[in-house]
Amino acid sequence: MLKPLSQWSPLALEALNWAITVSSVVLCTLALPLRLPGMELTEIGPNWLLVWVVAWSVKRSALQGAVAGVALGLIQDGMTELYPTHTIGLALVGIITARLQKQRFVEEDFISVALIVFGMAIIAETVMAIQFSLGSLVAPGTMASRPLSNIWLHHQQTALSSAILSSLWAPVVYYPLKRWWEQLEQTQV
Amino acid sequence: MYFLYRWWDRYWALMAVALLSLSVAWLIRQTGSASLLEIYRLISLPFQPNLTQQQELIDARTWELQQQVMELKTQNQQLRGLVGQTAIAQSQAIGAPVIGHSADHWWQQITLGRGSRSGVKIGAVVVAPGGLVGRVTQVTDHTSRVLLITDPTSRIGVTISRSRAMGILRGETGKQATIEFFEKDPNVRSGDVIVTSTLSSLFPAGLAVGRIQALNLTQTSTPQAIVDLAVPIGNVEWVTIYLDAKTSKSMVSAGT
Repeated sequence: MLKPLSQWSPLALEALNWAITVSSVVLCTLALPLRLPGMELTEIGPNWLLVWVVAWSVKRSALQGAVAGVALGLIQDGMTELYPTHTIGLALVGIITARLQKQRFVEEDFISVALIVFGMAIIAETVMAIQFSLGSLVAPGTMASRPLSNIWLHHQQTALSSAILSSLWAPVVYYPLKRWWEQLEQTQV
Repeated sequence: MYFLYRWWDRYWALMAVALLSLSVAWLIRQTGSASLLEIYRLISLPFQPNLTQQQELIDARTWELQQQVMELKTQNQQLRGLVGQTAIAQSQAIGAPVIGHSADHWWQQITLGRGSRSGVKIGAVVVAPGGLVGRVTQVTDHTSRVLLITDPTSRIGVTISRSRAMGILRGETGKQATIEFFEKDPNVRSGDVIVTSTLSSLFPAGLAVGRIQALNLTQTSTPQAIVDLAVPIGNVEWVTIYLDAKTSKSMVSAGT
């Protein structure tokens, strides 16, 4: 069996922490193109990377949240198209989540995290819609340009489904990560 | 003695009947009640399935077999594509499984399980049973990403196959798309079949795209029509990639 965490050397513990964190991001990224039954609503899946950013930022500083948002936004860009970028939306999500006065919500509750994810999903989709609108105004006829009416109709349809699905699936990502980071904190103190 | 004589005189008939019935019953038991079954058949004859009902059964069976043949034909075609036996439509085509969908909520993309190792290049045209699906925008060794024709950024030059009226088809992020016609008064009506036009620089001409569902000719600037796409792209599991239909990398912009 494995040694209890308190007996690990600090260096090994740090390495394990990074391994777990990175592999959780990889898993979330790989889940993006997946559509399992029950995991899609009008052909839209949960925004796993957004859920991860929220789970990361809940107990961290705004700067840490922003960095995580940018990093995961870059990954999502690579999974789709480079422009418009997902970094702005996810960085905003990280900052706002870190800044939220969570004491006002129920302490350490899935409900509060689900609510945060719900709101953040709508914010992220709105940022994307604004970018698409700017793109179609500034550079019509390029790859990212679409008709304005189409953009905002699509925004209406997707923002809500994305928010519902992401918040429902949020505990799947949030709970294991929270458990791990709490355990790590306890052993390090 | 007199007593016995009187008893026999009164009951001999009853005794005979009892013996007879017992022996008949025993006979029936020994023959497995065959005669009773024969009688049952005779009596129930008017209620048995008649000829028309038999004909109906035969017809249903024929229909079932026809469906099985159809199903096997399509399966055979798909498997041939899978194996790489490309005697389907064009010489340079491979089958590919759909392994993923778009990774965000804005781009209409799918990921296929064949890549540059199988000869897929950027710009290759992807079709499914029914018609056009999209074109490859990125390849790795064993996967390729396809921009679907349902994406609002993908614009295709199309032709009405009946009247040769031309227009540009633009995705609407769903099962439908819109066509903007070049002419003020195009010869088009609902139900017309749409194919890719010879002017399209991205797709080979004559690929089926869909059919007209509704018309909106009163649009102020350009007449428009709503198109039902031929391929139910959300449910497609296998597609065919045309390797030799390589196309230019840039997108067609409106008006060209």
